[in-house]
Amino acid sequence: MAPSNTGSIGVSHPRRDLPEKLTGDAKYTADVRLPGMLHGAILRSPYPHARIAAVDASRAAALPGVHAVLTPFDAPEGRVAPDLPILDTKARFVGDEVAAVAAEDEDTARQALRLIDVTYEPLRFVTDPVEAMNPGAPSVHDPSAGSGQAPGNLVGGKPIALERGDVEEGFAQADRIFEDEFATQSHSGAALEPRAAVAAWEDDRLTVWKSSRGIHADRLSLSLSLGIPRENVRVVGPHMGAGYGNKDETRLSAITAILARRAGRPVKVELTREEEFVAGRHRHATTTKVRVGVTNDGTITAVHATTIMDTGAYLSSGPGVIRRAGQGALYLYRCANARYDGYLVYTNQPSAGSYRALGAPQGHFALESLVDRIAEELGIDPLDFRLKNHVGPEGQPGERVTPLNQVVDTQPVEGGVPFSSNGLRECLERGAAAIGWRERRAAPTDAGSTIRRGMGMSMFVYRGGPGGRSIARMRLEDDGSATLTTGIMDVGEGSLTVLAQVVAETLGVPYDRVRVVSGDTRLTPEAPITAGSTATFSGGLAAKRAAEQLRTRIVEAAASELGVVPDDLGIADGAVVDGVGRRMTLAQVAGLDPERPLEVEATVDPGSREYVVNSFGAHFAEVEVDTDTGAVSVVRFVAAHDSGRILNPNMAVNQVEGGVSQMLGFTLSEQMLTDARNGVTLNASFLEHKSPTILDSPPIEVIFADVVDPVGPFGAKALGEPPSVGVAPAIANAIYDAIGVRVRELPITPDVILNELTLKETE
Amino acid sequence: MHRSRITLHVNGRPRELEVDHRWTLLRTLRDELDLTGSKRGCDRGECGACTVLLDGKPVYSCQLLALQVGDRAVQTVESLGSVDHLHPVQSAFLAMDGGQCGFCTPGFLMSAKALLDANPSPTDAEIRAALSGNICRCNAYGRILASVREAARLLSEA
Repeated sequence: MAPSNTGSIGVSHPRRDLPEKLTGDAKYTADVRLPGMLHGAILRSPYPHARIAAVDASRAAALPGVHAVLTPFDAPEGRVAPDLPILDTKARFVGDEVAAVAAEDEDTARQALRLIDVTYEPLRFVTDPVEAMNPGAPSVHDPSAGSGQAPGNLVGGKPIALERGDVEEGFAQADRIFEDEFATQSHSGAALEPRAAVAAWEDDRLTVWKSSRGIHADRLSLSLSLGIPRENVRVVGPHMGAGYGNKDETRLSAITAILARRAGRPVKVELTREEEFVAGRHRHATTTKVRVGVTNDGTITAVHATTIMDTGAYLSSGPGVIRRAGQGALYLYRCANARYDGYLVYTNQPSAGSYRALGAPQGHFALESLVDRIAEELGIDPLDFRLKNHVGPEGQPGERVTPLNQVVDTQPVEGGVPFSSNGLRECLERGAAAIGWRERRAAPTDAGSTIRRGMGMSMFVYRGGPGGRSIARMRLEDDGSATLTTGIMDVGEGSLTVLAQVVAETLGVPYDRVRVVSGDTRLTPEAPITAGSTATFSGGLAAKRAAEQLRTRIVEAAASELGVVPDDLGIADGAVVDGVGRRMTLAQVAGLDPERPLEVEATVDPGSREYVVNSFGAHFAEVEVDTDTGAVSVVRFVAAHDSGRILNPNMAVNQVEGGVSQMLGFTLSEQMLTDARNGVTLNASFLEHKSPTILDSPPIEVIFADVVDPVGPFGAKALGEPPSVGVAPAIANAIYDAIGVRVRELPITPDVILNELTLKETE
Repeated sequence: MHRSRITLHVNGRPRELEVDHRWTLLRTLRDELDLTGSKRGCDRGECGACTVLLDGKPVYSCQLLALQVGDRAVQTVESLGSVDHLHPVQSAFLAMDGGQCGFCTPGFLMSAKALLDANPSPTDAEIRAALSGNICRCNAYGRILASVREAARLLSEA
């Protein structure tokens, strides 16, 4: 019998952990309090680049209430990442960790920091990635220091170069070639929960509570950096005050663990908001040059993008980010010839890292802004241009390179591989209909008004969800409920709710009879980090496989008891049933053999050998620009997404609305600013790094394409990051429609608009 | 450092305790009274995650010293319902998915409660104005707006 439908898929079950978040019961890392716990604080470099010649912490250590100090000269030599020691004798940005203390309370700890005497030898520094690539620029990382870095600041010593076909040949076929350069700023995800860590030792065994998006990866990293066996490290991930891709590094946890070891007591370190802005991780600033060749009828013959990206003082997830910035140029438009060159560069800026959709928003801003200009200059409607040229279900032209028995990358370069599903055209058509694209016309200008209205659009492609190896365990409990055990972290997006729905549907039990165990390396099997919009897809496939296996075990056990063949049985509403009225509750099945609990573990390597699995979407924005003040107001937004089948509609809408609204900040207001003269961050606060409030958030209409993906769990594909990819170009194109000004640099603040309008008038 | 014995009236109960004069109300609630529902998102009056009610009015508890509270009644998120018996405002946020990571949620709930206590049927503009001092970095603003509308409806039926 086929699995019965328990009504768990496509149903808006309430977010599982929301009730305890609504009552204040939910514990986040900063809420963890242990007996005898001390409070730590971190001393940070005031120089963008300096040798640390000496640290004298004797006055700090002598302060009453101080129990431990840590300096680069007495820290263990381990590294938390290839280019990141636990503490180093070189500081690489203003805010880099230099020393740490633990004391009875936070005030004493901060007082002790002021008593640490550091002898800095300031070095020449560089804050601009182009300058950093010049011969003679100061090296942020020493090639000799075992960091794996080649001489100079270009990561890997050369750019990444990805090409399909031959772009020079493609440009030779073009009637016209368009080229523009675009710049995007660094901005902070600024999760409301500042980073925090708590560490406690019991003999040689370490437990760390940390705000984490990957407890198993954190455990491995801590084991390697601290030089202790992995089985002696336990990482607990309490509720997470969100990360948006952030919070995957372990330097703070390693420092906290060493302080706790030295003090012989548990230690908690909470970053301040200012520290979170400066020493957290933010989106990579970029410049991108895009060149597109077209024939006079509007057919694209070549696309070539080149991105220079500032990774700041440390690599973090930079190699993934630089790669993803090229995905739009390589894959969004059907074209035999596409090329991407990516330069990832160290500077003495605060370290960038992974932030929602990595480089994709930067790359798409450039590509989709240029395409808007191309359409206009060819006299083709931007929607029609995209309908004519978007990549279709058959994929890109060209020859498959990946061997047939290997999984196809979700960020491919090659052609010749179809998509598992591709609802891009539906997104374009339904999104356009919803916003009234065809009916739009230049708004009548009221002579007395300075308000101009405009409409713009963009489209995008993104990785579809296959990630790393995923493991799930399932067990039938004595009371007939089912427990899913997963190492995947819910970082606030709701993945555990969706995994429970997948399990309920597969197993044939009511949703509220599924329990989920997570967030503790001691209780859960290995899992990849929650990254790249893979949790629902990859974690979901593992959960589904485990639920299928458990279902088989349950049915076999019941069949043997009932004296029938398993094929005659099914599970519905929490009971095993056959077609003729025989019935065994799951509690009865669980009690059949107390010696042999019904427990399974399933391992899945997600991915497809036949298809490229990608998510898609199209964004439409309507804006008002005040030509007197330069203020841009987004009055309406339509977000049409192909993320496959939607497993929980309410949460999916929330995810899309949230992603769009979050990226209004990237587009219009947020920017981390450092002073080029000294590397100091100038605006480490919510007042000056201006994130959207509820007053800025426009009505957002969310549309999901009617797509069921053949690879993903119950037809689902990636959803978490795609909403952030198309926002900036849709709004920038709407601004052009409103006032005839093409802004090629983010954020588009009022002064930018006023400057552009002035330039336009003087032309 | 200077310390004083004070009585705080928190969630309907007098709580006697000794406070350091430097301690904010937020720190006192979290570290001394173990009421950790109020969150420290910035500790500088910018984000609203620490919002509590003082005599029914929403305030940033990080911007007030414990010593300054005096006899005024303090209400934290813990004064609303429990997981088994949610307050209507909480029920509305659950039904409308008015949160994601949840870190800002206690602050939004207290701002929303203060609004609805004073104005049982607010317009969207009034809701937005009342919640403009709370930041949600997940930007669940659409669902939060829907939640407060729903809360007004639930309370009017109660």
